[in-house]
Amino acid sequence: MNARATAIAFALLAIVLTVAQDVYPARDWYHAWQYTAILGVALLVMAVHAWRAWRGLEGPHGKRIALALAGAVAVGVAGLLSGLIGPDNVTVFGTPGTVTPVPDLGAAAFFAPADPGTLPRGDATVTLRRRDAPATEIGRRPTPVGLWVVFTQLRPAAYIEVRNERGERLTITQPNNPSFLSPVILFRQQQQIHDRAFPLDTFAVPALGRIVHVLYFSPADLAALPHDPATPLPTEPGAILSVTDEAGAQQGITLAPSGRETDIAGMRVTLTLGTYPVLEAASAPQPFVMLAGTVLFLIAGIWSAVLRLRCAPLRIKEEY
Amino acid sequence: MSGCYSGGGPAHSVDGGGGPAMLAGAPAVSYAIPRIGGGTDSVAAHHGSIVLMNFWATWCPPCQEEMPALETLYRHDRAHGLVVLGIDQGESAAKAAAFAKAHGVTFPILVDADQRYATSYVSVGLPTTVVVGRDGHVVKGIDGAQTLAQFQALVGPLLAAK
Repeated sequence: MNARATAIAFALLAIVLTVAQDVYPARDWYHAWQYTAILGVALLVMAVHAWRAWRGLEGPHGKRIALALAGAVAVGVAGLLSGLIGPDNVTVFGTPGTVTPVPDLGAAAFFAPADPGTLPRGDATVTLRRRDAPATEIGRRPTPVGLWVVFTQLRPAAYIEVRNERGERLTITQPNNPSFLSPVILFRQQQQIHDRAFPLDTFAVPALGRIVHVLYFSPADLAALPHDPATPLPTEPGAILSVTDEAGAQQGITLAPSGRETDIAGMRVTLTLGTYPVLEAASAPQPFVMLAGTVLFLIAGIWSAVLRLRCAPLRIKEEY
Repeated sequence: MSGCYSGGGPAHSVDGGGGPAMLAGAPAVSYAIPRIGGGTDSVAAHHGSIVLMNFWATWCPPCQEEMPALETLYRHDRAHGLVVLGIDQGESAAKAAAFAKAHGVTFPILVDADQRYATSYVSVGLPTTVVVGRDGHVVKGIDGAQTLAQFQALVGPLLAAK
């Protein structure tokens, strides 16, 4: 492979690595030294070849090749800046029905209210509102917002309903969470069991002086538990409820299937398990630089290739 | 100031920080929910009035202590355009109704079984009081029980301003 082909290959590599930050955002790899080293080598090779081509040391159409490489260098530098020295990824947990400021984005995120029907469907939305910009509904597909790419990820959540033995509904609170009076728990903590981490959260029932710890199990987790081989494999998630009084004394422990009432420690607890979105934001290359650099690389590269094809017969004649 | 935080104290690291106080100036969120005595009610239904919402629950001692002050405020200022809405959080209508009757409460009691109001107004404990101005925007959010004098200081200037 000659020097020009090598430089163009590195240019393509730099563009692909940079565009990847937008298409597959929030990967730790973009902040790793290996990613930086590859982009750095590509930039160095491109810069040296562009400088030599501009001075006519790398054959015909050198200035056009230099321009194409300059475009790729701009893209690579944008990728390097957002990767190596870009801010860390941001995960925003929002309580359903609340507005949460996201200072990094200069925006506020509105997390849609959730009810027992919303969580199993997993279709709750997050809307981003910025000053002087229309509201944007954020989905699982990455959406560029300034120097960030934002998207949502679905995580386990549960809507909780508690009744006393007379069937009267009771208030639930979340003393350890910012969403003190939300009936939706978002499993912000984790419990390590052997080599695996399971989503964990806690709520309280102040009227009965009960604290309930909830450990989330996916259908696959439940299937992995010892069970009668004759019984069908679970298709719904479940949770283990562990109840203490306010002094920490154990009051009961049981497995609660999603959507069904479970009697424990003088309470009738119904957990509707499902998913609720969290907002993820990852730093992204400057969109204008990335677009302009890629366009320059393509136009100058194609222009150079076309001229080269046109001039090829002339060169053959000159050889005679 | 006192309030119910259900063990471990209030979670003051609220998303965005600051609890109900941070909502001052924001448009008031409204949900239509059942009202004891029949029908539904909401903050939005009283647009143009000064609305004082009080989030409470029957198990919350400071909420009980605060009720007489709220009742006195309501009786004194409703003629001047004050609307008081007591919004029970997460309990059955029967439970809230029995409590209101036992405590001689005559202002409207709403039953928020899904705890949407307290969640939306970032309550970090009970009781929580939120005052909404005539323009439908939050004037002030307060965490913890208030005295009659504090309630009067809160709504007096708003009622005086036409």
